[in-house]
Amino acid sequence: MTLRKVLGKGSVQVVVLLVMALNLIPLIIAFSTSLRDPSNNTNPLVLFREMSFGSYKAAFDRMHFPEALWNSVVLTGVSVVFVVLFAAMASYPMARLKTKLSKFMYLFFLSGLVVPAQMVLIPIVQMINALHIPTNQYTPIFMFITCSLPFSTFLYTGFIRSGVPEEVEEAAHIDGAGLFQRFWTVVFPLLIPVTVSVIITQGVWIWNDYFFNMIFISSAGDSPLPLAMLGFLGDQQNPTQWNVLFAACFLCALPLLLAFLFLQKYFIGGMTVGAVKG
Amino acid sequence: MSSTVMKKSMYWFALPALIFYLTFWIFPILRLFQYSITDYNGYAQAYNYIGFDNYKELFRSDILGISLKNTLIYTFVTVIAGNIIGLALALLLNMKIRGTGIYRSLAYIPTLFSAIVVGFLWSYVYMPDYGLISSFLDKLGIANELNFLGDYSTALYSIIFVEIWKTIGTTMIIFLAGLQTVPSDLLEAGRIDGCGSWRLLRHVKIPLLATAITINVTLSLINGLKAFDFPFIMTNGGPGTATNTLIYTIYKMAFTEQLFGKASALGVISFAVIIVITAVFVLKMNKREVSA
Repeated sequence: MTLRKVLGKGSVQVVVLLVMALNLIPLIIAFSTSLRDPSNNTNPLVLFREMSFGSYKAAFDRMHFPEALWNSVVLTGVSVVFVVLFAAMASYPMARLKTKLSKFMYLFFLSGLVVPAQMVLIPIVQMINALHIPTNQYTPIFMFITCSLPFSTFLYTGFIRSGVPEEVEEAAHIDGAGLFQRFWTVVFPLLIPVTVSVIITQGVWIWNDYFFNMIFISSAGDSPLPLAMLGFLGDQQNPTQWNVLFAACFLCALPLLLAFLFLQKYFIGGMTVGAVKG
Repeated sequence: MSSTVMKKSMYWFALPALIFYLTFWIFPILRLFQYSITDYNGYAQAYNYIGFDNYKELFRSDILGISLKNTLIYTFVTVIAGNIIGLALALLLNMKIRGTGIYRSLAYIPTLFSAIVVGFLWSYVYMPDYGLISSFLDKLGIANELNFLGDYSTALYSIIFVEIWKTIGTTMIIFLAGLQTVPSDLLEAGRIDGCGSWRLLRHVKIPLLATAITINVTLSLINGLKAFDFPFIMTNGGPGTATNTLIYTIYKMAFTEQLFGKASALGVISFAVIIVITAVFVLKMNKREVSA
């Protein structure tokens, strides 16, 4: 019996290791390849034979890494701040008022989740032009905010309903706090767990998005990281330099990987706030 | 209860979000319905109303059926395989073995990469001759002519696999969180009653995972029906129309062929398909969850 248990545990460990290895093989090989000099074209299956940062240097220069990183930070940062403010505010009446209108609004926002942006792109661009919003590197922010609203209001509304007792508000009301003051000083601070969740889920997709950036940003110097990646795929004349391409891939992912390394708890917790409580 | 405390005036709080949502999302969607009965090409000022010609043309051509079929396969496989693999991984990592924390983090890493990066990585994996799979088989002495993305029969399934690979971390994390809410005394009671691990899974764990299953399946369903990234990045819809999903076809029609009216009509049809499938599914799942 004990032998079987030990064997069982051992084999589980082996299975987990195998599954993980299989899962991560593309990343491991890409990482090993990125550590080769751009001129090394030998078989990438020979892992970690060379330790050169030549490809990283080439990728760093070609994607204008510091500028691209800064552009990503600005786009994501500004968008996420507005998403948090707008979604938290909009969810407040949807969670608190038990009217037909508030129910309708909840579903109205949520249903936006099923519409893909590619489908409505031309009317969106027309709208942006009609409103005389200049198309530059900051234009995608409008779309990032808009497209984040359905899921964020879903998370906030669920959290306010189940996680913020009405009694705390009643107490503030008796103390003479107005609606505005009550929301910002009593309710909003209690929303921190779900705010973390919104920042992470929406921040990751906005950071990684290439589509809206591709539509609105035309000059290379304005590109955020994922868009800067597009320049690395070769064509007939200039075949893809895989070593450099992979280095660019890791440079592009590096900021999020670092964030994940330090904020793991929040990433994993943040994914599940909405999911488990629902 | 909407008394003096919960005043109706709090509706004003929704104003900024509503302005953005109506201006940049709902209004453009409504324009889609309008353009679907025109011959608008996407940039010219003038266009004519041509009734239901776009729709008629779509129903007569093959592309609607092909895109719909590809999208349904894409969705079906990502939902079923993605959730089964995600659940299996979660069950595996929920066991008391050493280093689960590290494994959990490792399994989550692919979800952090941009679709562009994932597309590039897997283009290399699938590349004929020099790609990861081909050269690995060569090493083993197996000569092969594999061309995953270039072959009609494998292209769609190859990009589906990439989609699953990218999203599996999220699915797994949500299942894991669900598994951690399963009370251990309930499992203990089951074991005492003589349940094997399969029956524990089938009759105790899975019913208690109902919320996690609903969330995961709904998210992957919507994700699948909206599939665009990997056909766009990895295959350009090809070979031929083998990886044309509905949304990719709309994009191609609007921007490459400059038939925005027709693309809008396809958009309206896709919209209906997505809404109907999602609504039917969500209603069914909600019913189940309550009775479970």
